[in-house]
Amino acid sequence: MRLNDEPVPATTNAPATTPPPSPASPADAPPAAAAPFVPGKVTVERTVRLPSITFCMARHQQTGRVFCGGADFGLHHFDPAVEKPETKPLSESRHSSYVTGVVNAGGTLISAGYDKSLIWWNAETGEQLRRIDSAHERWIRALAISPDGTRLASVGDDMQTKIWNATDGTCLLTLDGYELQTPHGFPSMLYIVVFSAEGTRIATGNKTGRVLVRDAASGDILQTIETPVMYTWDPKARRHSIGGIRSLAFSPDGSLLAVGGMGQVGNIDHLEGKSRVEVFRVATGERVHEIEDSKYKGLVEKLQFSADQKWLLAAGGDNGGFVSVWSMETGKLLAQEKVGSHLHDFEMLSDRRLVTVGHEQATLVTLEEAAG
Amino acid sequence: MSQGLQRVQSAVSPLGVSRRGFLSGTTLAVGGALAADMRGVNGLRAEEIAGELRRGEKHVILLWLAGGASQLETWDPKPGAKTGGPFNAIPTNVAGIHVSELLPKLAQRMQHTAVIRSLNTKIADHGRGADLMERGRLDDPGLRYPDIGAVAAKELGRLESTVPDYVSLYTSTEGRRKGTSGFLGARYAPLFLAENMMPPNIALHERLTASEHQDRAALRDLLSKRFAAEHRSSTVGSLNSAYQRVQGMMASAGLFNVEQEPAEVRARYGPTQFGEQCLIARRLVEAGVPFVKVARAWWDSHGQNFETHLELCADLDHCMSVLLDDLQERGLLQKTLVITLGEFGRTPGINASLGRDHFASAWSCSLSGMGIRGGTVYGATDAEGHTVKDGEASAADLFATILQALGIDHTHEYMVGSRPTPLADFGSKPIQAVLA
Repeated sequence: MRLNDEPVPATTNAPATTPPPSPASPADAPPAAAAPFVPGKVTVERTVRLPSITFCMARHQQTGRVFCGGADFGLHHFDPAVEKPETKPLSESRHSSYVTGVVNAGGTLISAGYDKSLIWWNAETGEQLRRIDSAHERWIRALAISPDGTRLASVGDDMQTKIWNATDGTCLLTLDGYELQTPHGFPSMLYIVVFSAEGTRIATGNKTGRVLVRDAASGDILQTIETPVMYTWDPKARRHSIGGIRSLAFSPDGSLLAVGGMGQVGNIDHLEGKSRVEVFRVATGERVHEIEDSKYKGLVEKLQFSADQKWLLAAGGDNGGFVSVWSMETGKLLAQEKVGSHLHDFEMLSDRRLVTVGHEQATLVTLEEAAG
Repeated sequence: MSQGLQRVQSAVSPLGVSRRGFLSGTTLAVGGALAADMRGVNGLRAEEIAGELRRGEKHVILLWLAGGASQLETWDPKPGAKTGGPFNAIPTNVAGIHVSELLPKLAQRMQHTAVIRSLNTKIADHGRGADLMERGRLDDPGLRYPDIGAVAAKELGRLESTVPDYVSLYTSTEGRRKGTSGFLGARYAPLFLAENMMPPNIALHERLTASEHQDRAALRDLLSKRFAAEHRSSTVGSLNSAYQRVQGMMASAGLFNVEQEPAEVRARYGPTQFGEQCLIARRLVEAGVPFVKVARAWWDSHGQNFETHLELCADLDHCMSVLLDDLQERGLLQKTLVITLGEFGRTPGINASLGRDHFASAWSCSLSGMGIRGGTVYGATDAEGHTVKDGEASAADLFATILQALGIDHTHEYMVGSRPTPLADFGSKPIQAVLA
């Protein structure tokens, strides 16, 4: 039974597609008075068993299905709108290592992984449409699709950012700007890339905490932002880092950039640093908010602003997962909840509902207004 | 603390020592009734014996991967298995042997290395795991066993040596342990460097010049010899030996200073602390130190196992490769056993933090250089790495194997009080397949 057809909210990274049907669920309908929605409570609706650790997801607006990839090297999909979602493999064909990025480019899926390849898929049939085997020289860490669905951005541990024609797979830009090694002589990583809502800028974040904001057409660096705490490097006791910038999000108007990762880690090798978010004004590089959460620790793996950019959604975790909502007016916590195990990604189904993926499960999560 | 120790001869003569020579020493030891402690053993006109026992310098460099490295991301990759993680296996320069893609440089030096993939050591907590792997057994009530460094220091160290016998570089905080000489006593305890790489308190006093220091030492030596000649006492002998060792230590300070190495050599080892410590280990071995432990910690990857191994394996791969090359170029590799070992391995299962937890049931270590049949893999685990399916080896077996590689008979016994105590645990068997 299909419960609802949910609209995609006006958030920053959603590709332009055919407008979805109107909401059928009262929970997804905007309030009659059209007062701004401010979440005051996070509730776990239900969970869906996934076949492996799942790192990435993309929602196919035309069908409503969620496509996700992970540690079994393949892509799977399920319908979050039905009561008991059933997970199905997209294809027998797979990557040859972990799948770390999947995007919806106007109905065609594009995935990437640690096998350094990019694969275009027919989302209906599972047919492999195109494959670029050495898209990067090292692991591909993340993908982003421009809002109009025409350009694909990828980042990898070759520390390059590449812009691709999402339709024909032509590489349009190859951008350097990061060192291959950390200042301490270890391999660096380039974890994340996102487009701004208008599609004219991209932002990337690396292991040592450096954000580069670039013109998406020319590749010119428009702003450099440093978040050194995210590096988690301990120069004396540990000589080791397991942090880095793991998530980025532009605000809808493009004026703010949220950066997610983890705070300093103590004398132990778990993800026990405080989950950490820093928010900057893109134009000046000024830091607006510095948020650390000691209740729910670990890496912030995904960030997304609300359409009115009054609040910011953050998800991630250590062993356990969390979803937190932070006020962008005050930097204070509005709501949060433990959600299953470590979360790697989420997609908004509406401005009040999201689906997360993580350690062998997906979770449907509802945001509710604060009582009173 | 020494525990009333003497060494007794077993049936097989170690190191090609002549039975006659050894027995004469043993007779002296017993006849002299001086074997109350190690000073007794060492004070036995033993140079003659030692010349045979310790002929040919032999060394060990233990690269201690503190916290427990993942066998799946190093020596026993399982690409494509559910437990395999994201890394591929790569071929090595020895046909048929594959290792993790995180070790590309070591893969090209497999002719020096034997990998044991079938350790089942059962203990998966850091403290006891480290005890077990470093000593080859756990302590008995009332009997504290020496670790491999102390045993090597005793068996391979030169009595007349002025350099330390056992150096432990352990600047990481994780799992930091001083090491123990157990019943062998303080004489074989490590020179333990935890805060920085230069031994503390060995610099010449600021008011003394080098020549004044030498003059003082010479005067002291003259008076000591005269006193010792008049007072035949093992205690006096031991005291003089201790002074000589301190003087040797002070003279050895330069060994810990990598800035004395040419810039191109330092660059070759790379910028990391582990690289610097591997270079110090080579300098120490070259100067005659029998045993050097270099600890590189934070392999305890309960969270972000793959990121951790990307970082640390790159360090291990580079530094150990340079170390093997450097030792070989200096003619030291055939005299030096290089070991990678930790408390245990890591679980095949991957937890929610993308970590692997402690696992001692089916894991790996490597032995390179002296006494080792390079290009060998011993033992095997099942398809997902949960169990040993072939060639199960215990910590005691590994301990015995290390001793045999160094030419030391693992069945030799020390008498601790009235208790015969073999160098390796009772029942241990060297893994002959990895021995040259």
